[in-house]
Order: sequence, then C-alpha cells, then structure tokens
Amino acid sequence: MVLLQPDPFLNELTSMFERSTEKGSVWVTLKRSSMKCKATRKKMETAGETIEYRCLVRATDAKKTISTSLSARDYQKFQASYATVLKAHMNALKKRERKDKKKTAEPEKKQKKSEPSKKPAPPASRASQ
Amino acid sequence: MVYIASWDEFAERSVQLFRADPHSSRYVMKYRHCDGKLVLKVTDNRECLKFKTDQAQDAKKMEKLTNIFFTLMVRGPDADISEASGKEQVEQAASKKGRGRRQ
Repeated sequence: MVLLQPDPFLNELTSMFERSTEKGSVWVTLKRSSMKCKATRKKMETAGETIEYRCLVRATDAKKTISTSLSARDYQKFQASYATVLKAHMNALKKRERKDKKKTAEPEKKQKKSEPSKKPAPPASRASQ
Repeated sequence: MVYIASWDEFAERSVQLFRADPHSSRYVMKYRHCDGKLVLKVTDNRECLKFKTDQAQDAKKMEKLTNIFFTLMVRGPDADISEASGKEQVEQAASKKGRGRRQ
C-alpha cells in the first residue's frame, strides 16, 4: 500500500483505468479515517484531544494498491478532478435509449428527470391521449 | 448478495448506514470496463448495501453520491449535505411536477 499525494494518486488511478480496459476491474474505496491506530485514538480521546478525521481513498486493480488521504482543505479540488477521471474512463456503460424507440412510460420518466427544461412535451402527449 | 434495485432507496439507505456508524463504514465503487458494469457498495461489516448498473446515466447519479460521501467523510457525519445533493432534489421536484400535470 503506497500512500500518495492527491495529484499523483489521480495520475496512477488514470493509468489503472487504462490498464484494465481489456480485462479486470478497478475498485475505489472511500473511508472516514483518522490515520491513527486504535490505541492512539483511545489515548487521545481520554486526554480530551479532538481527533482530526480525513477521508482515506484507496484504489486497486487487484495487482497494485494505491491510496491517498484528503483533508478538509483539499477534498473539493480532488472531488472535481476525480469526477473528471471517472467521466473520461467510464465510457463502456450503455447510453440512454432514444425516446422514439421506446414509448413506454418508464424511459420517458427517466428522460424528464435529466431534462427538466423540456416543458413543451406534456401538452403534446395530452393531445394524443 | 442482494442488490437494491432502486437508486433513490440505495442512496438514502447508504447515507443512513454511514451516519449510524461512520467509523466502520466504507463506500466502494467497482468499475469493470470489459463488461461495462458499475457496482457500488456501502457496508459497515454488518449490513451491506449494493447497487449494480450498466447505464451511463447512473454514473452521473453515482458522481453526486460520491460527492456526498466525500463531504460526509471529511466534514463528519453531521455535515450539511444539502449543498452536494441540492441539485438532485430540485431536479426530482421538477420531474414530480411534470408527472402530475401529465395525468
């Protein structure tokens, strides 16, 4: 287990995604952690000290494991870059089916959810009923 | 292992599970490119919630939930997550409105 800084972690995560395109999976785990062992934590608790919690992020492709820890200061930046990495590599998922192919109520509902700006649709469907 | 079929139920129950025991809960995302599958898991080693999908639109929902978990884990279980999940709530309200008018 290698503990990296957030930016090298994202770079390594990117290459993990690239390595696992033909076979294999990538796991990413988020955990709330103080990065201290239980004994130290208990000692600090009894001493009345406040324990600083961070977000521990681990990633593995079953061959290699990497990790990073995020403080309150840098998690928002990491969150945005992490989302970009995922968006760039999760392209094997199925795209939404087109509306005109399936005219059942279910996909229509889903489409409305993601496109709430499409207001002219309801009167048209009411006219057809 | 039983997968939860509804995204909203999964999201709600996973946040509840984390808040009940923040010390031993974890949030795991597994992505398998060759099969185009995404699995989310939240567990505290007693209860395990899982959600499986192959749809690209669920990846967007997952991004929001991931942001909620980042916030909860860094700021603590009592942190305000309305900022991270607010957009989703507005969207839900809008879609409910639309559905009502249609009937």
